[in-house]
Amino acid sequence: MRSSRIDLDRHEPGNTVSQLDQSFSTPAAHAVDLKKTYGTGDAAVRALDGVNVEFDRGRFTAVMGPSGSGKSTLMHCMAGLDTPTSGRAFVGDQEIERLDDAGLTDLRRDQIGFVFQSFNLVTTLTAGENITLPLDLAGVKVDQAWFDYLVGALGIADRLSHRPSEMSGGQQQRVACARALIRRPDLIFADEPTGNLDSNASAELLAFLRDAVIEHRQSIVMVTHDPRGAAYADRVVFLADGKVVGELASPTADSVVEQMMKLGG
Amino acid sequence: MWKVTVKGLLARKLRLALTGLAIVLGVTFVTGTLVLTDTLNRTFDSLVGSAYQHINFQIRGDSPFSSTTAALSRSGDRKPVPESTAAAVRRVPGVAYADGSVEGYAQFVADGNAVGNSGSALGFSYDPNRQLSSVRLVEGRAPTTADDVVMDKATATKDHFRVGDHVRVLLGSSSPKTFTISGIVTFGSDDNLAGATLAGFDLATAEHLFNSHGYYDTIDVLAKPGADNVELQRSIAKVLPPGVQVVSGQTVANELSSAVSDALSFLSTALLVFALISLFVGAFTIFNTFSITVGQRTRELALLRIVGASRRQVFRSVLVEAAVLGLTASAIGLGLGVLAALGLKALLGAFGVTLPPASLVFEARTAVVAIAVGVGVTVISAIGPARRAVRIAPVAALVDRREDEGEVSMRRRIRTGNIVGLAGIAALVAGLTSSAIALVGTGAVAMFIGAGTLTPVVARPMSGVLGRPLAKLLGTPGRLGRENSMRSPRRTAQTAAALMVGLALVSAFAVLGASLSKSAKSEVDNAIRAAYIVTGPNSGFSKTVAPAVSRIPGVGVVSTAYKGPFELRGEQYSLVGVTTAGLPQTVNLAITAGYGAPALAAGRLLVDTTTASAMHLSVGSVVPVTFAQTGTSMIRVGGIFKANPLIGSYVVGAGYFLAHFNNPLPIVVLVSTRPGAGNVGRAINSYLNVYPNVGVKTRAQFEQSQQSSINQELGLVYVLLALAIVVALIGIVNTLMLSVFERTHELGLLRAVGMKRRQVREMIRSEAVIIALFGAVIGVIIGTALGVAFAVSLKQQGITEIAIPVASLAGFVVLAALLGLVAASWPARRAAKLDVLAAIAVE
Repeated sequence: MRSSRIDLDRHEPGNTVSQLDQSFSTPAAHAVDLKKTYGTGDAAVRALDGVNVEFDRGRFTAVMGPSGSGKSTLMHCMAGLDTPTSGRAFVGDQEIERLDDAGLTDLRRDQIGFVFQSFNLVTTLTAGENITLPLDLAGVKVDQAWFDYLVGALGIADRLSHRPSEMSGGQQQRVACARALIRRPDLIFADEPTGNLDSNASAELLAFLRDAVIEHRQSIVMVTHDPRGAAYADRVVFLADGKVVGELASPTADSVVEQMMKLGG
Repeated sequence: MWKVTVKGLLARKLRLALTGLAIVLGVTFVTGTLVLTDTLNRTFDSLVGSAYQHINFQIRGDSPFSSTTAALSRSGDRKPVPESTAAAVRRVPGVAYADGSVEGYAQFVADGNAVGNSGSALGFSYDPNRQLSSVRLVEGRAPTTADDVVMDKATATKDHFRVGDHVRVLLGSSSPKTFTISGIVTFGSDDNLAGATLAGFDLATAEHLFNSHGYYDTIDVLAKPGADNVELQRSIAKVLPPGVQVVSGQTVANELSSAVSDALSFLSTALLVFALISLFVGAFTIFNTFSITVGQRTRELALLRIVGASRRQVFRSVLVEAAVLGLTASAIGLGLGVLAALGLKALLGAFGVTLPPASLVFEARTAVVAIAVGVGVTVISAIGPARRAVRIAPVAALVDRREDEGEVSMRRRIRTGNIVGLAGIAALVAGLTSSAIALVGTGAVAMFIGAGTLTPVVARPMSGVLGRPLAKLLGTPGRLGRENSMRSPRRTAQTAAALMVGLALVSAFAVLGASLSKSAKSEVDNAIRAAYIVTGPNSGFSKTVAPAVSRIPGVGVVSTAYKGPFELRGEQYSLVGVTTAGLPQTVNLAITAGYGAPALAAGRLLVDTTTASAMHLSVGSVVPVTFAQTGTSMIRVGGIFKANPLIGSYVVGAGYFLAHFNNPLPIVVLVSTRPGAGNVGRAINSYLNVYPNVGVKTRAQFEQSQQSSINQELGLVYVLLALAIVVALIGIVNTLMLSVFERTHELGLLRAVGMKRRQVREMIRSEAVIIALFGAVIGVIIGTALGVAFAVSLKQQGITEIAIPVASLAGFVVLAALLGLVAASWPARRAAKLDVLAAIAVE
């Protein structure tokens, strides 16, 4: 699926961060010959068919591909939400297949942040409580300065005592971003984070994520099918039929669309 | 629409299974009760039938009482028949046989212990005439000498007695005697008489042992073949002395049957009440489940409306679902009920109510009642939710909005709850003051429904308060559990309401029991001055005890008390007779008007204050009284004493009592000691060694035994109420399961952002504990009030003190919280095992 609506007036995210972080020995996450098959026999579907990919530290990577290309499966496998059929997935130098459920839970809580397309927040908790949820679950003290910075930067400081039902979709996603960032995870997985937002709210959210990469060396992997969103990333990885079929550094909306046309055509 | 309903049923198997379980248990209980009582009825009927199948007529004394409630008791309320009558009847043409018989209390002793219980230890004159008796000699020979006894086969088998062995027998009018077993008998084809032991003596010995010289209790008559029974009965009646009647064997059998079924109907009513309580609690669970699922199915139901389902069809589809569920559950309950009958019997046995063995009787009526009740309760409980389903607008299919209770409906809820609840309380109070049981029951049901309606109003704040310590203790999981319990106050409240009902009843009985217990203690303190109390079987014990005890050194006054039925102004009551010499040293009568012991010695009647005011009696009133043996006479009221259930309402002196009862047995002997006496208790005790059925207690021990028998009854009530609690817990499991399904997304999210499985379990458990605590706290509060109301209303019946067993009540709350944990275990496991990916992938 392609986005036909491309806003050419959007600013073009620079390659300002591409020169950073070459010193890190390991990528934030990487996959080696990752395969995932659903079902068996004739009904078997190869969602991932030998994916090799690295997500660099301190960079903003977008994963794109048409529906059924395996981009969500890739993210789920790499985040320890799903187990691959074969191959290896690493977060840092931690191979996640080696972890049991408790280990995976710790990994998700301490090293990974998530932003989903919807249902990001616990409805019974206030915005503030939702943000600190991973810390509370771990029994770790909140870094108040960081918390204040995040809610300030996201413009939700006056919403902290509100429940999700009292907030707009954009506000909810910003709370989700704050929660993803609160532990300064090694990696944030964002799965279509702007899928349910209007273009203004989308732009704000994506700009914030990019700023987090630039200013705080946050590593982010974002699954999207919106070329305009992908343009905020430092690099785009294209998936089709469960394989990596190309990538693009310092993308613009145009170059992404161009590449997609090439791949899809 | 039918297809949609069926599909819906199948799609929600698990929830239906859980909901159905609540009905299954209630119906099981109902069925078990009916099967058990039918079985017992049948058993006794066939026993009675076989006991009287041989005889054509029975000759017996007239009953002078207008109300013959005592048909089951042994001959106590009828005059004996003179021996000479038998000879006269034998001379009537057409009579084949006419044999007199006597019966009384005779209990075997095996290894120093009394066999069986005293109420079912039947001593009788063994009639060797096989035509007249159902008692069959299966081994040895009939008793012929004063040393012989025949023993029922059951006792012989159980306690290893053989023909020729010696056996001690406890008797009423004399000290225990040793007999030689001459033979072993059965009753018809049974090894004993419906659980009662049998000790048969030859007629002369029996008359002697049961103090019935020159008199028979009854004479059994067999007609010659071909005799005209109607004519014969008339002929026999002509030769009978005054005060003696002849009735057909069938009449006696019918009288006994109906007396048995009367006695059993009390048992069956009591058990059915508890069965209905479980069903009532189950109704809350069904109501709650259907409410939740109608809420969850809002979209689906609205969609049905859009595609053209009428309101009536939607309404009907919910009710049909309930009916199918109720029918299935009832059918299962019906099957399990047969097993439950056996369980109930064992349960009653464990609490000392022994019932004869028999094969189970399953009447068609049982099936009809069980299914009608099961389906009825389910459908009625589903009406409310079905009406809510009908109100769903078709547009609800298009917008995603959770049904939320608005301000207006909250206010309506408060009003409805208050009206229903207050009406219930009013009915309850009215019922209690006029002792109308049905009104009490209806009132309690209305009160609980009212309380159930009101609980959602307080659910949020109360859950918040109750959950705070958990949130503190468990951190985030506890806090989330607390929030979850607060997020849908109606759901929390309705789930808790079932437990509330159960715990309210448990608490009410706890308060009642504690009050009874405390009253019993104060009754003993107030009424008894004696240092030692000698008690035995309820039917009385040997008359030789009191004289022997009085000869023990150090013993002061020995007072003997008797008890028996009499009629006053045409109503039957229980009369206590007590020896008057030195009475103030053993008994404190607390005389409020007239005299105590002197009035008794003078042959006057004492009544208690309650009776005096109810019957408008005062000192000097003269009232007619009727005794079985002596007929009607007048007696003057000589004094009024402060009511004390331990004493009874009517007291006369032993002299008067013995003159009006034939050979009564003491039921209690009170012993005071001389100053400076040694250990009199030990001396009495060692004397009483020969009477395994009689024991001596100090006042403190006596108090304790009174209290422990109350506690035992309370224990039985708790066990019967436990089922209601189990049903309430099923409701909690059910609600939590539904919530877990409903919150799949949220659980997935929590897991994704790092909630451990343990923490998920803690969260669900916290919610369960809060719900349980909520129900328990409200239940205990209501129950305490209810218990106090019961206790106050029973003041006349002897509850003089109100006690609130705070420790027990607190224990119930803690127990409820623990049970909440248990209820949470399955939903918690389920939630923890939830596949994170599947949970967040659901769109």
